Amino acid sequence: MKLADKDFELFRDYIYNLCGIYFHTSKKYFLESRLARRLEDCGIKTHADYYKLLKSIPGGSQELKKLLDEITTNETCFFRNLPQLNALENKLLPEVVETKGKIGFRKLRIWSAASSSGEEAYTMAMILLEKRGSLLKDWIIEIIGTDINETVLGQAREGVYNSYSVRNTPDFYLKKYFKQESADKFILSPDVKKLVTFNHLNLYDDTKMIFMKSFDFIFCANVLIYFDTASKSKVVQHFYNNLQPYGYFFVGQSESLHGVNDNFKTVHFPGGFAYKK
Amino acid sequence: MDNNVKLQKAKEMVDKINDLPTIPIVATKVLELLDKPDCELDEVADMILTDQVLAARVIKIVNSPLYRSAHEIKSVKRALVFLGFRHIRELALTCSFIEAFQGKDGAFDVMTFWEHSFGVGIVAKIIAQRARYMDTEKAYLAGIIHDIGEVFLSYYYKKEFLQILEDIKGEPYKLVDAEQRFWGTDHSYIGYAIAQKWNFPNEYGEVIAYHHRPSEAVLDPTLVAIVNLADLFCSVRQLNYGGREWVSFNLADEPAWELLKQFAPHIAKLDIERFCYELDDRVPEVQDLVKSIFEGMIME
Repeated sequence: MKLADKDFELFRDYIYNLCGIYFHTSKKYFLESRLARRLEDCGIKTHADYYKLLKSIPGGSQELKKLLDEITTNETCFFRNLPQLNALENKLLPEVVETKGKIGFRKLRIWSAASSSGEEAYTMAMILLEKRGSLLKDWIIEIIGTDINETVLGQAREGVYNSYSVRNTPDFYLKKYFKQESADKFILSPDVKKLVTFNHLNLYDDTKMIFMKSFDFIFCANVLIYFDTASKSKVVQHFYNNLQPYGYFFVGQSESLHGVNDNFKTVHFPGGFAYKK
Repeated sequence: MDNNVKLQKAKEMVDKINDLPTIPIVATKVLELLDKPDCELDEVADMILTDQVLAARVIKIVNSPLYRSAHEIKSVKRALVFLGFRHIRELALTCSFIEAFQGKDGAFDVMTFWEHSFGVGIVAKIIAQRARYMDTEKAYLAGIIHDIGEVFLSYYYKKEFLQILEDIKGEPYKLVDAEQRFWGTDHSYIGYAIAQKWNFPNEYGEVIAYHHRPSEAVLDPTLVAIVNLADLFCSVRQLNYGGREWVSFNLADEPAWELLKQFAPHIAKLDIERFCYELDDRVPEVQDLVKSIFEGMIME
């Protein structure tokens, strides 16, 4: 069923206000096709009725979760958010390195807070490895990936990927840091793997979160959207506390922290933004 | 170097060019007409009609999605009525300006330039609306013309400009800073020198001159701040000269944001993230607008 413009706007606002993720107009057909599945599942005929159903349950609850599962593609990939990586490589990393270099603190700490099968953390590792001869000469690099799901942590530690995971990877990196075993099997180089440690962590767990200290860059993409506002604020405050004063915090493409944390400042760069203390 | 030295340098660079386009004669006459206290709308419409290119462009701009007129406007006179008297001057100027640089592809092609310019115009209008700045059309037109210095440099100083673009490729430098290093002046001073030559109204000259230094504006600092912010947002949301410069900013540190908050305290609560995402959505609209304005407009 065709999603009328005004209905699209209703769903967009609803999802944005509740989850902090924005559906660009160019994604209308995507939303339309995913909504179709929910409508069918619930035996509901019109978008308006489905919208009413969502609104009638406080916080959207189970049905909202099902919708979110439909509209957020769980799979990740290497070099997923290029504008973010460009900004990091060209501007934010040199800036942080300069600041830390001045105080003689030659160690970088990076946290991929919902690391899933490791693509984000390993992407950072590859980018930083390329700087080893220049900007990061004699620097200690620590990259930590955490996730609540042991299965994906296992996959991350194993470091074997399919072609879908590497679809965005520039040729240069693909050739240098992967060994292709078959059309659909790419094995990550041990040089990259040894830069990253993967641990189990529940972002709700305050007692553990307070020990994740002194990071220069923290990534948390496409996870906060599942949290209610109160939990979101709490988790983001942990990120805030655990970030160095000169560090940067990143969320996913189309995500927003508006109304979640007033302490962070937004730093804009081409195609995205990062948060800073 | 102080501002006077930079402006002096800019004037020299502009004066050196012998074939600098002049404002089309009709536009000058329209401006003269508008200066007369007993000016009649019919007279202005008739004058515009003597230049078919200008007339067609006025109608195209008025019918663009931006103005959201309820019905298609087909005549120049209706266009003028719709716009209101005070905007005719600006529209005539903008159209002449488009005319003057028609086909002058330099270090970058003119379409890319216009996409940024109209982008800044549209975003300036949106910011003006959100800030409840009264004259939103003025913000729109000021946005369109803010970078005339850039198109001048790109065309008349193409070799040097290409060198600058090459130097900052992939580096986190703003074009305006690179120009300063290279020439000892930049497109804001150059643009101001051109605006003076062309007798642009003072408020517009001020926007051109201070759109990178809004705190120095005197006549209408709010307008300059609006255009400065629109320019910044366009630079990070795909209306950035095809990514030729790399801009990064923190709104909290921008003097223009302070100025705008003084003018409209409620703007402090703006959801900046959503604002940016909504701007992304409008990029195709800007591109279509520029295409529609220029399609079939090249006079043989």
